[in-house]
Amino acid sequence: MENKVNSTVKKESLYIACSVVILSMLMEAVFLIIGKWTISVLWGNLLGGLTAVLNFFLMGLTVQRAVGKDEREAATLMKFSQTYRFMLQLAVGLVGTLFSVFNVIALVIPLFFPRIAIMLRPYVGIKYDGAEIENSDEQQT
Amino acid sequence: MLELAIGIILGGCALGAGCAMIAGIGPGIGEGNAVAKACEAIGRQPESRSAVTTTMLMGCAVAETTGLYALVIAILLIFVAPGRFVDILLSAIS
Repeated sequence: MENKVNSTVKKESLYIACSVVILSMLMEAVFLIIGKWTISVLWGNLLGGLTAVLNFFLMGLTVQRAVGKDEREAATLMKFSQTYRFMLQLAVGLVGTLFSVFNVIALVIPLFFPRIAIMLRPYVGIKYDGAEIENSDEQQT
Repeated sequence: MLELAIGIILGGCALGAGCAMIAGIGPGIGEGNAVAKACEAIGRQPESRSAVTTTMLMGCAVAETTGLYALVIAILLIFVAPGRFVDILLSAIS
């Protein structure tokens, strides 16, 4: 049983976290430019961004755990994990909607930032170097 | 009569939100299948474990966005749409 976080998961989570921070700053700038910025936008952005990164990291941990298992077990584990993470996002969405401290739009948009980060990945210049990752894994183990 | 109309609006919104959440099932099944196939691939070629894990992570993150769309639509239908529809109804009556 692996307790350590895989280097691939760490690397990807870091990339997603950095992308979420950059895109969040861009979103804040847009809110400022259109004159809709309030402190609730910042709180909403923080909660949404944190949830997006946490969701990706938890998914990475599940994938890491599922990889070493049987096919059926892995599929079941992933389905359960997705359900729990979906419920987490639902809870965050509800909190954002019910409490006026958070701006709903600023909370929901960061949830899509990981997808945007993945879409932009080929243009950023980061390549999937399998050999490099394998070597780093070997060094870790 | 007005109460009935408001009730229909609220009921319709709740029903729509429930239907939208059905889309949340799809990513779970898709991710499960993707991970199962990845496990199979790693079993065949253990040396490609890291590369497969990276690609799978990205694929799962993309697949999950579909569920997020459903979530956003459901939240909008529950918390935003009823108020707007009732306002439209009241302004139409007045």
